[in-house]
Amino acid sequence: MAFDIFLLEVIISGLMTGVMYALVALGFVLIFKASGIFNFAQGVMALFAALALYDFLAEDGWFFAVFGFTLPVWLAIPATGLIMVVLAWVIERTVLRFMVKQNEIILFMATIGLAFVLEGLGDILFGSDVKPLDIGIPQGASDWLLDSFNLYIEQLEIFAAGTAAVLVVILAIFFQRTRIGRALRAVADDHQAALSVGVSLDKIWVIVWSVSGMVALVAGIMWGSKSGVQFSLSLIALKALPVLILGGFTSVPGAIVGGLIIGVGEKLAEVYIGPMVGGAIENWFAYMLALVFLLFRPQGLFGERIIERV
Amino acid sequence: MFYRESGQLKSSYISDQAMFPIAQDRWFVIGVLALAFLVVPFVINEYWANAILLPFLVYALAALGLNILTGYCGQVSLGTGAFMAVGAYASFKLVGFFPEANFLIVLALSGVVTAAVGMIFGLPSLRIKGFYLAVATLAAQFFLVWMFNKVGWFYDYNLTGMITVRPIDFFGIQITGPEATPAAKYLFTLTVVAVLALSAKNIVRGRVGREWMAIRDMDIAAELIGIRPLQAKLSAFAVSSFYIGVAGALYFAVYLGSVEPVEAFDINQSFYVLFIIIIGGLGSVLGAFLGSAFIVLIPILLKNIMVGGMGFGSGMAGHVEILLMGMLIIFFLIVEPHGLARLWQIAKEKLRLWPFPH
Amino acid sequence: MTNEQTSEILLEVDAISLSFGGVHALVDVSFDIRKGEVRSIIGPNGAGKSSMLNVINGFYHPQQGTITYQGQARKQMRPHDAAAGGIARTFQNIALFKGMSTLDNIMTGRNTHMSKSLFWQALHIGPARREEIEHREFVEHVIDFLEIQSIRKTPVGRLPYGLQKRVELGRALAAEPTLLLLDEPMAGMNLEEKEDMSRFILETNDEFGTTIALIEHDMGVVMDISDRVVVLDYGRKIAEGTPEEVRTNQDVIDAYLGVSHD
Repeated sequence: MAFDIFLLEVIISGLMTGVMYALVALGFVLIFKASGIFNFAQGVMALFAALALYDFLAEDGWFFAVFGFTLPVWLAIPATGLIMVVLAWVIERTVLRFMVKQNEIILFMATIGLAFVLEGLGDILFGSDVKPLDIGIPQGASDWLLDSFNLYIEQLEIFAAGTAAVLVVILAIFFQRTRIGRALRAVADDHQAALSVGVSLDKIWVIVWSVSGMVALVAGIMWGSKSGVQFSLSLIALKALPVLILGGFTSVPGAIVGGLIIGVGEKLAEVYIGPMVGGAIENWFAYMLALVFLLFRPQGLFGERIIERV
Repeated sequence: MFYRESGQLKSSYISDQAMFPIAQDRWFVIGVLALAFLVVPFVINEYWANAILLPFLVYALAALGLNILTGYCGQVSLGTGAFMAVGAYASFKLVGFFPEANFLIVLALSGVVTAAVGMIFGLPSLRIKGFYLAVATLAAQFFLVWMFNKVGWFYDYNLTGMITVRPIDFFGIQITGPEATPAAKYLFTLTVVAVLALSAKNIVRGRVGREWMAIRDMDIAAELIGIRPLQAKLSAFAVSSFYIGVAGALYFAVYLGSVEPVEAFDINQSFYVLFIIIIGGLGSVLGAFLGSAFIVLIPILLKNIMVGGMGFGSGMAGHVEILLMGMLIIFFLIVEPHGLARLWQIAKEKLRLWPFPH
Repeated sequence: MTNEQTSEILLEVDAISLSFGGVHALVDVSFDIRKGEVRSIIGPNGAGKSSMLNVINGFYHPQQGTITYQGQARKQMRPHDAAAGGIARTFQNIALFKGMSTLDNIMTGRNTHMSKSLFWQALHIGPARREEIEHREFVEHVIDFLEIQSIRKTPVGRLPYGLQKRVELGRALAAEPTLLLLDEPMAGMNLEEKEDMSRFILETNDEFGTTIALIEHDMGVVMDISDRVVVLDYGRKIAEGTPEEVRTNQDVIDAYLGVSHD
């Protein structure tokens, strides 16, 4: 009996971590679906968003230094959202609009550069020490679950899972049903063709990167509340890559499923195989899993098949 | 006016295919090599060797390797750091097994070991492309670094997990360890890098180089005209890993002297070398050197200006460095995706007309 | 100019059917190509002509049918076997290696004939160098033949469309092919360029005896240079024969004028 509970806790813990990965992966999928760009800077955007949010809330931030007061949570979050929109606009003007016809590898490398810019900027503006983030999400284990089922699960993680679920539904509807969603998918397919039918590329890109920025903000809030706002947040970006491989780069539900599989897989591997080889398997397990997937199913579980024509 | 090729007629394919067909280029390269081999060793000091010249050479070599894979053959790799580690650890173990062996042989064997590992991790490239392949190379990066950290055999069960090079001499002259002079280290590294660079230039303008570029430009068409993707890609991984492995061995044995895997060979190293080839110029042997010079010098310049001149802390200088790198990457990718090497070419073309305007 | 005598069959496709999901690109197509002839494949857009070439080349694998080349029958062709067997081709949308010069592009066509190992190449002396020179000479003949000497060092990405097509032909010719597959080699060319291209194709056929399979939309060109013609429509063969026979065939006329089918 004790074994079952333990296994269950490991799995659930993995699922929760998986949800967190999925939140970051969602941002990737958005940008990729709508602009064909693989945004390596997604994780750093989450970090940047969290840093900005912290700045609005805390008394040792720039906002307080300039204006003399801090914002309450219900104002700080929209304010950070606004910052992300401005960021998206700046990125579009300074980087994206010059890269319209480039091939995808160049675009990818540009986003690596972008990641470094945001990271450096974040460090310079906000400092690189760890900052606690508290926006009122209940902390600690869920008492109800503990009492009823003897399961130890953090309320924060339940909250994150719920938020992610809501986000997925909203985004899925957005892409499938709305006019803008269709336009976005057209843009992802072929920049120049979309331009030639009158789609305003720069507006679309600002929209997409803003939405993606919002998703990054949510991810940043969740991760930041859990373990404080720090640089390691941006490393999560790298973990999102295997998530995307598994789920398919163009699939919103795929990001979730991929995240869950990676989260659970990692945890199980660490707990059961880890002790045999000295631990820290989590460093590479996700990538090996992704590698295996790439060999047998390159488009991921839900992605679109890539067909080559001559 | 001085850079004109007029009068330089080629009467055979051999001279047309020479490495530096324009006479002025030939003289320039000979001049640089003469300076490097004959002048620098006499004026070099500890600081110049350790802070500038050795890292420049070692990173240029690693960049050459990565450029072969990514710039010429189009296979994106984020595993450079890990492959440098393979070279370093291979050299460490080899010297441990054969302490009397000639270090050149050790280097060559380290390169071969890395080439083998590179080919194994390169196998997925047959089915995966683009940034999917980049993710696959990340698997190599994280796994290998973890392995070198965890498996005691690699670092002779040293408690600190670090590996330290033992003093090695090359025909009587110390090239590693505390007794080695900067000049000795520099000359040895310079020779290795120069020979490998010339070989690289030969390979990329021959049949194999063309195959690599064909795969990069349009792999389907390449396959349809009879190029075997398997052999082309694996050979790219092999040669590239060989170079990166030798660079890693030099990085460990000659440049640093002792390393610890997580710090020295982690993903940041992979990015570093990638940045070198982007800024230096993808698909260019010269680019590896230009990029390496650029990237090695920036932190030094920054430190001197910011810490020495403006009084910032070195932590801040580090942040600015990251910011600047990112901006430079974006700048180069937008303005000149072919990097400094292309700018060099354009400068040469302008030089042909100088002092006339057109 | 045209080859009248019956010669042996170089390539035969038998009952080839090819579909992608629900789309039937080719349905039960059979024809042959005789050694030394110029065989045109024509038909309205979407008829499956390029797909047919892709099947011969080994890029697409048909679900049914056999391909017999030089007497050897196969269910499907592999690209490397095709190339090694002397089949070369050009592509509808130009598949040149944009990052390389004209000379280098054409040299890649020699690839199947070059084999010296990596080691010798690194040294660039001895066997590798001799091989490089030898093939360079051959490629220069091709360059002379196609009159593109002045652009040999230019990166092909910078060349105008018509010249790119010529370079692509050069790359195919460099392989010394037994069977040359040309996919709309004259698309997008003006009259003068077309005349040049036709001349090159005919000379290749005449002087080197290369068998040519040609997809082309310009009926004038087809009628002028072909020995025999195959007509495809909606993936099926609807006629074949000499240009004269095909031109007067009612089914062919219907297909081109868009008369509806049952």
